[in-house]
Amino acid sequence: MSSHPLLVFALALAVAFAAGGRLLVEEQALRRETGSVLKHLLGESRRAFALHVFLKADAYFHQGFYPSVFDAPVAPEAKTHLVEATEDNHDHQHNHGHAHNQHRDWLEAFGCHFQPAEHRHLEGLGQAREILPWLRLAAELDPQRVETYTVTAYWLRERLNQVKEAESFLREGLRANPDSYEILFELGRLYAENDRDVPRARIVLELAIEKWLRQEASKVSPDHVSYRQTLGQLAALEERAGNLERALAHYIRIYQVSPNPATVQKRIEELRAKLAAPQKPPP
Amino acid sequence: MEPTVATENLRVEYRSRELGLATKVAVQGLSLTVAPGEVFGFLGPNGAGKTSTMNVLLGFVPPSSGAARIFGVDVREPIARQRIGYLPEQTYYYKFLTAEELLHFYAGIFQIPPAERSARVDQVLKLVELDHARKRQLKTYSKGMQQRAGLAQALINNPDLLILDEPTSGLDPIGRMKVREIIQRLKDEGKTVFFSSHELGEVETICDRVAILHQGELKAEGRVADLVAQHAASLEQVFLKLVGYQPQP
Amino acid sequence: MNTIWSLAKVVVLEMVRRKDFYVLFILTVLLTGTAGSVNLFNDRSIVRYLKEICLLLIWLSSLVMAITCTARQIPMEREQRTIFPLLAKPVTRGQFLLGKFLGCWLAVGMALAVFYFFFGLVSASREQQWPVLNYLQAAWLHWVMLGVVVAFTLLGSIVFAAPSSNGTICFVVSAGILLLGRHLNKVALGLPQPWQSLLYGSYFVIPHLELFDVRELIIHNWELIPWGMVGLATLYAAAYAAAFLLAAIWVFRRRPLN
Repeated sequence: MSSHPLLVFALALAVAFAAGGRLLVEEQALRRETGSVLKHLLGESRRAFALHVFLKADAYFHQGFYPSVFDAPVAPEAKTHLVEATEDNHDHQHNHGHAHNQHRDWLEAFGCHFQPAEHRHLEGLGQAREILPWLRLAAELDPQRVETYTVTAYWLRERLNQVKEAESFLREGLRANPDSYEILFELGRLYAENDRDVPRARIVLELAIEKWLRQEASKVSPDHVSYRQTLGQLAALEERAGNLERALAHYIRIYQVSPNPATVQKRIEELRAKLAAPQKPPP
Repeated sequence: MEPTVATENLRVEYRSRELGLATKVAVQGLSLTVAPGEVFGFLGPNGAGKTSTMNVLLGFVPPSSGAARIFGVDVREPIARQRIGYLPEQTYYYKFLTAEELLHFYAGIFQIPPAERSARVDQVLKLVELDHARKRQLKTYSKGMQQRAGLAQALINNPDLLILDEPTSGLDPIGRMKVREIIQRLKDEGKTVFFSSHELGEVETICDRVAILHQGELKAEGRVADLVAQHAASLEQVFLKLVGYQPQP
Repeated sequence: MNTIWSLAKVVVLEMVRRKDFYVLFILTVLLTGTAGSVNLFNDRSIVRYLKEICLLLIWLSSLVMAITCTARQIPMEREQRTIFPLLAKPVTRGQFLLGKFLGCWLAVGMALAVFYFFFGLVSASREQQWPVLNYLQAAWLHWVMLGVVVAFTLLGSIVFAAPSSNGTICFVVSAGILLLGRHLNKVALGLPQPWQSLLYGSYFVIPHLELFDVRELIIHNWELIPWGMVGLATLYAAAYAAAFLLAAIWVFRRRPLN
């Protein structure tokens, strides 16, 4: 061996290149399979980080004034205020544990001067953009967390007037969660309310209903809230487009699952009356 | 005239973990004086107690019993060190400083007025022949240059007493000669020099008086000429006799 | 005072000539720049996350600098034996320690000034506003907090043998107080006696470094802290720093130099 140093060197070089190439191929395959760098680094613990980061967005929404894990425990099913703000009937019944003027000792009273001590929201024009980086990161960490996409899309679309970005983000969410009726609903809502693209909105919303029926209909406690929202959006869409019969069909389906059937019944009768009224001839 | 350095029954003990908390007596019953303007040699084999004595004089270690005074002030008072210059055996200075910065730093410690400081630094650097390298960091210096920088910091406050620990250790013959010249010049200026050395030839040449220490006890003290005459031998032979060295037959 | 000031200047010079600060600053700039270059929904005016990342890096860097710089002072003086020619001069051990404290504190203060100036540039580049007084308050409180950290690290450097163990302990203690200090009372109230009293007692005894962490106020553009409160916080920090320094001087006087 020692009498042929060049041969040894060439052999070592060949082995090094082969190993490097093999590793590169494996790394690319792994990347295709599992996605981002964060997934490689954190593994499944990224989901816990994703929740923390999502709550960070909520903390940013409150300009830093936020309970810690040591404060009064919050029920698991409780929603963050970020999420509540996206719902039509949300009420600002915020409670962040004990009020800021109730202190356990003088040190705590002194310390409140050095941290946010008042309940505030990001209300100013465009200020809500500050929560976006954390929502982006939360989606990166846990792409299967559907709520991240729907909440982010709401804020982009409704509060920041960034409709294209909202659509792009929802589509990204759909790629990671192809069966998500929630994301389809948000996308449909975007097409209906922002783009005014009725055919497109109809296709997406009907697909959302289809997926809901496949996933939820057979459950003991299905997610009727999402179902009603999607049907309601479809009904409103058809009504605006003048397709009253279709709208009526959707309202009848809503009636079957509504907690307020009287209200829905009223809407159904209004539509029936419109349908029954003679068509006015054009002038 | 009050002695520059005076010790009275000085005793220094150390408690060591290695000795199982037993006490090691480094210096016992040491009483000596150094008169102003003298060049005093402090001799002894390794472990004789020379460094311990110097540590007491410099305030590093408190005496276990007895007293030590410099210019009549107890050595435990910081003011006792206002008029002394100390040159340790090894070069223990901040390697990231230049010679100029080091001297300005020590001049600040001695509270030399700023107006006087630069002149004093220049003077001392010229004396030790480091003017050409004053802007270089000490870590770039050779051993000889570092030793000279050490001498410079020992002289920065124009001390009345110089305590030198093996001042020529590790120096080449030219370096040793330069140190001897500086000591002689200081003596001519009326300064007192107290130094320890293993170079008996050097001590014989420049010292007025010497003290010989062995196992913490003072074995002899006096003028070199008197000791040589008393024992009818060279200083080296006197030293070997007093420390109990028996030559191999 | 001149002696203490002379000693402090040497420590500052050492810090300037070491590479620690430059490495940490460049790292901060690079990481902040990377975070700022991320495309977030095509919106270039999002700034708060960037401020948070930048301030976090500044806090981490400043803690690392303060603790590592201070932790090595006394052990290095002993190891390289530079303490001997120094204490052979008319310098007391107390002055020596105070000089080291002042030097380390001033050095991290200078570093903080550079860091906060960079932070101001980063936030102004997106916010087009420069709340100078708010930043000054934050920087001042940060610096004052680091005075406490330097003081207890100095005490640790005399008590503990190795700078690495002292550094680790001080870093863990600082991080622990910053993260958990304000919550100890809540945890204590949930414990049975005697643990409740012990923990509540500790809550009052520890220096509450987290009081000086006003990053949330800066990130979210809250109003200025009342200057009286800033003054009281400064006094609080000064009291703790003084206590740690006195303890350090007391211990150092009783320790042999070698």
